[in-house]
Amino acid sequence: MSFTAFVDGPFWYFSATVFVIGVLWRLVGMLNMGSKTDFSTPRSSGSAAALSINITRFFPRADFWSRIRLQVVAGYLFHVGLFALLFFAAPHIEFYREYVTGFGWVALPEWAFILVSEIAFLGLMLLILHRMLNPVTRAISDRGDYIGSILIFLVMLTGCLALARSHEVLRVTHFFLAELLLVYFPFSALIHTFTFPFSRGFMGAHYGRRGVKV
Amino acid sequence: MSLFGLRVSGWQLSTLFLAGLLLFIAFPATAQDKVPASPIMVPNPATDLWRAVRQREGAASGQTQVRGIETGVLIEQRGEAFREYRRRDFIGNAGIFIGVIAGLVLLFYILRGRINIPGGRSGRRIKRFADFERTLHWFTAIVFIFLALTGLTLLFGRFVVLPVFGAEAFGVIASACKEGHNLFGPLFIVAVVLLFIRFAWRNLPSRGDLTWLVKGGGIIGKAHVTAGFFNAGEKIWFWSVMVLGLAVSISGLVLIFPTLGQPRDIMQLALFVHGIAAVLFIAGSFGHIYIGTIGTEGSLESMTTGYVDENWAEAHHDRWHAETVAQAARGADRHASADTTGAVHATTDKA
Repeated sequence: MSFTAFVDGPFWYFSATVFVIGVLWRLVGMLNMGSKTDFSTPRSSGSAAALSINITRFFPRADFWSRIRLQVVAGYLFHVGLFALLFFAAPHIEFYREYVTGFGWVALPEWAFILVSEIAFLGLMLLILHRMLNPVTRAISDRGDYIGSILIFLVMLTGCLALARSHEVLRVTHFFLAELLLVYFPFSALIHTFTFPFSRGFMGAHYGRRGVKV
Repeated sequence: MSLFGLRVSGWQLSTLFLAGLLLFIAFPATAQDKVPASPIMVPNPATDLWRAVRQREGAASGQTQVRGIETGVLIEQRGEAFREYRRRDFIGNAGIFIGVIAGLVLLFYILRGRINIPGGRSGRRIKRFADFERTLHWFTAIVFIFLALTGLTLLFGRFVVLPVFGAEAFGVIASACKEGHNLFGPLFIVAVVLLFIRFAWRNLPSRGDLTWLVKGGGIIGKAHVTAGFFNAGEKIWFWSVMVLGLAVSISGLVLIFPTLGQPRDIMQLALFVHGIAAVLFIAGSFGHIYIGTIGTEGSLESMTTGYVDENWAEAHHDRWHAETVAQAARGADRHASADTTGAVHATTDKA
């Protein structure tokens, strides 16, 4: 079996399965952990705070703005750019139609596709550099954070190098790295893609019941 | 069937015919070796036509239904001439120039060696660059190096990569480099704009710059040369980055969007400017990288940790060092007067 056939066939099914089962396993495991029953009389609604914090945490606190503006701006550039790239780039929609959903949807025009790629690259590179150069962020980062960031960067880079779609080897390289990322995803901090509403909600409920404004 | 009194079947006759045909084809070839045939000059009836099409007498445009720049021109001689110039003259000279500059930097290192911190390290550190400034510097550096590598591959690949890796691999490498170069190019524009916003005011000419230049920055010889936060050499590099960055950015945008209607002359000019500016940029970066790393002890850490040794600051940027120390002392005085415990805080690290 050629490497291309392996990447397009067995390894794709393997990585997709690991990704789906892994994410479900992490989510179910986290939700099953539950929390200790709080017998104290709540000062305000935990549920309302859980919902509220999910919105308010999208905006940085004014007190911290001068210190965290780089992370905030770069973070939004990267996440919004990557989301648009993943779900609205024409080659990706073609892929989903062929391999996953069986149907496609409206794609971004070529110029917008390139623009969101630039935005995502800008954001990701600034975030990786900030992680490496800021003493506090560097101190709280572990190997997994770097592996996840570098892997995403390599997936994006190989995707950009394969843009001309003129050489199969470039597409297969991009595809292979994307599959590696799928395998790595559930067991890394990248799982925050799915868990952030729950972790925010937990924190919101915890503090909301104590009357803390979130 | 009977042939010259022999009984032969149909397939035997066919085989005989084919053998005869092969002999007929083979013999004239050997016969030609012995008796050379006189060449017959057959004039190409299309020669005059194509000569006219090539428009040697000057550009001429025909009629066509296709709308666009030069769509009426079948063969544009100036394009071929530019391609020849680029391949024969520009690429060769660019390679020699980059090689010579790299050699000079190496020669300088061999002759001068590393410039150590006078008096060694003091153990006290002074903050020189903020996190954002270092992030911006390394972002620019990474994008620049990526663009330089992909650009040099596109420029010299046909002569360097192709013979080593072969046509198929070179096709893949060239395609990847072209796409990568086009995608990372706009990121470099963002980097240059951010660098300008962040650093321009500190790179304005100031007193002492001319003296610094006259004395060669102290790197040649042993004389101490006074300097502020940035010395004149750093300022020249900064403004070179701005000018060359602007040149590669504008010419790059002209090249990356060929469908915007710019004529051939503009595209050729853009290619020329892009190449010249990029080669100068790469050659200049050798000096910057050299001085910032192995050339000067203690320089690199200003961009890795954000701090420099106090002796380094005093040796290379004495006016900035004096200002920083004075500022720290004023801060300490304020702390001392405001602090009821009377403790004096060391603020050098926070300067």
